Amino acid sequence: MRRRRSEPGPRRLAAWLLAPSVAILALVVVFPLLFALYLSLHQAEPTGGGITLQWKGLANYTQFLFHDDLFWPAVRLTLYFTVVSLLIELALGIGMALVLNQEFRGRNWVRALVLLPWAVPTVVNARMWQWIYAGANYGALNGLMHTLHLLPPQVDKVWLGFDVPFQSVPILGALMGWLGATDALHMIIVADTWKVTPLVTLLVLAGLQTIPGSLYEAAQVDGASAWYRLWHITLPLLRPIILVVLVLRTMELFRVFDIIYIIMQYSIRVVGVYTFEVGMKFLHFGAGSAMSFLIGLMILGLALLYVKMLYSEDSY
Amino acid sequence: MALPIPARSGRFGVRGARRPPVWRKRALRVLLYVAVGLILLWTLAPFLWLFLSSIFPYKELIAPRASHWWPTQPTFANYLALFQRQEQTGELFLFALRNSTVVAGSVTLVCLFFGTLGAYALARLPVSHKNAWVLSLLVIRMLPTIALVIPFFVIVSLIDYRFLGWGLEFHLFDTKLNLVILYTTFIIGFVIWIMRGYFLAVPPDLEEAARIDGCTRMQSLWRVILPLSAPGLVATGILAFLLAWDEFLLALVFTRSTNAMTLPLFIAQLGSQYVTRYDQIATAGVLASLPPVLLAMAFQRFIVSGLTMGSTKG
Repeated sequence: MRRRRSEPGPRRLAAWLLAPSVAILALVVVFPLLFALYLSLHQAEPTGGGITLQWKGLANYTQFLFHDDLFWPAVRLTLYFTVVSLLIELALGIGMALVLNQEFRGRNWVRALVLLPWAVPTVVNARMWQWIYAGANYGALNGLMHTLHLLPPQVDKVWLGFDVPFQSVPILGALMGWLGATDALHMIIVADTWKVTPLVTLLVLAGLQTIPGSLYEAAQVDGASAWYRLWHITLPLLRPIILVVLVLRTMELFRVFDIIYIIMQYSIRVVGVYTFEVGMKFLHFGAGSAMSFLIGLMILGLALLYVKMLYSEDSY
Repeated sequence: MALPIPARSGRFGVRGARRPPVWRKRALRVLLYVAVGLILLWTLAPFLWLFLSSIFPYKELIAPRASHWWPTQPTFANYLALFQRQEQTGELFLFALRNSTVVAGSVTLVCLFFGTLGAYALARLPVSHKNAWVLSLLVIRMLPTIALVIPFFVIVSLIDYRFLGWGLEFHLFDTKLNLVILYTTFIIGFVIWIMRGYFLAVPPDLEEAARIDGCTRMQSLWRVILPLSAPGLVATGILAFLLAWDEFLLALVFTRSTNAMTLPLFIAQLGSQYVTRYDQIATAGVLASLPPVLLAMAFQRFIVSGLTMGSTKG
C-alpha cells in the first residue's frame, strides 16, 4: 500500500472534515435563526417585494405573553395534546413491545408489518384518517359503528366536531372545556398515535432484548408472578429507553403542525398552527418570529427537564 | 383439554419452583395469539381501507358504508388516471412524483456525503469542544421547522427581489434547488448524529491495525470503517430519504407550481376545491406510501438499528 507522508495532523483533518457540515449548518440554520431573532424585535411586514421594519424591542414577546387572547389557550391545547398522546403512545408501545417480544409463529413477519404505519407519509396519514372519520354515512368509522350496532342506523356521528366530551361531569367537563379538548382533537390524537406507536414499540422492543433472560429465570425460581416481574424487572430496566422516547416524542408532539393543519386548517390552534397563522397567513414576520422563539424556549425547557431526569438516573 | 396437574408442582413443589398449570399455559398461548391478531388489525386495517378505497368505483365509494365494505367491481382506473399526462390531475401527480424523487434523492446524497465526513471527525478525531458540537447538533434537531420558515421566507423573498432588480431570470422561490437547501437544515444534523453512533461502535483496534499497515486516516475510513458501518450507512440513507419524502411545511410555503411541488403538497391540496374525490386521494396516498413502506419492510432490521442508534447514542 502506498504510504502518504504528507498526511495532515488529526486536528487539521478533523477541521477539514467538519468544515462543510459546519458551513452548511451556519448558513441554513444559525444565520436564519439570528435573522429571526432580529425580525422578532421589529414590526416586519411585506411591501412590494421587500419588507418594512420598525423597531419594537420586546413588544412582540410581551404582546403574546400578556395581552394576546389566543396565545395561552394555544399553549394549554398543545400541552394537552402532547401529554395525552404521550401517555397513549407509551402504554400502547410498551404493551405491543411486550407482546412482540414473546415467542410465536411468524414473529419476524409481524415485526416487519408493524413498521408500516411509521412509513406512511404524514400527509397521507392525515388524509387517510380524515376519510375514515368522514361524517356522512360513507365514512368508514361510522360504517364500522353501524356494522357493530354501536350507533343506531340512520344516525351518523360527526367525528371531527367541536363538542367537548364529559360536559355532564362537573369539574372534568369544565377542565376539558378550559383546555379546548374537542372531539376533533381526540380523533387527531388517535390518527397521530397510529402512525407513531410503531416507533415507540420498536425502540422499547430493542430495549427489552437487552434485558438478560437470566434475570427472569431467577425471578421465576423465586416464585415471582408475571405482574411482579413486569413491575420490578422489566419496567425499571426499560427506564432509560422510556426516557429517551419521552424526550424524542415530546419535541415532536409539541411542535405538531402537519396533521392538524391538513385535517382542521386553523380551527385547532396549537402553537405550531398559531405561529404559522400569524407569520405566514397574516404575514406578521416579526410577531411570528417572536412566537417561534417562545415555542423554541418551551421545547428547550422541556428538554432540559428530561435531560436532568436522564442524568440524575443511577445506572443499574 | 386441560388436564389437572400433579399436586407436587404446586406451591411446595420440587425446589420451590412454581410451574404454571398446563391449562393456564394454553390459555396464555391463546391470549398471546389474540393479542398479536389485535395488533395486526390495528396496524393494517386503516391502510388496507385506504387501498380498498382506491379501487372502489366512485359511486360505491360514497354509498352507505355498512352495506358497502368491498367494491363489487374493483377498478384500477384511478391508478391509470394518475399516470395520464393529458389530464390535469395526472400531470400534477407525475410532476410531484418527479419533484419528490429528485429533491429527496439529492438531499440524501448531499447530507450523507458531508454528514459522514463530519460524523467521522466527531467520532474518531480530536476536536476541541467536541461535546459542545455534539450538543449543538441535538439542539438543532429539537428546533421546530416553523421557527425557520419565517426567516427563510423573508430571506428567499429578499434574494429573489434582488435577482429581479438585476434583471435575472434566476430565482429560488418555487424551485427544487431551494427545497434541497432548506431540507438540508434538518437532515444533515440527523445524519451526523446517527453516523457518529455507528462509527463509535466500530472497535478502534481495527483502525489502529489499518494505520499500522500504512493506511492514512482517509484510507482507513474508506477501506475499513465505512465497509464495517455499511448497514449504518444504508439505514441512515433510508431514514434521511424518508424524512425528505415526508416533509410538508416547507413545501407548503415555498412551492406553488409543477416546477417544485412535492407529493405531500399535491396530496394535501388534492380535491380541496368543490368535490373531495377521496378515491383519488386514496390512490395518490397509496402510491406515495409505496416507496417508504417497501423500503421500511425490506430494510427493517437496518432501520430499527438506525432508529435505536439515533435515539440513544449521546
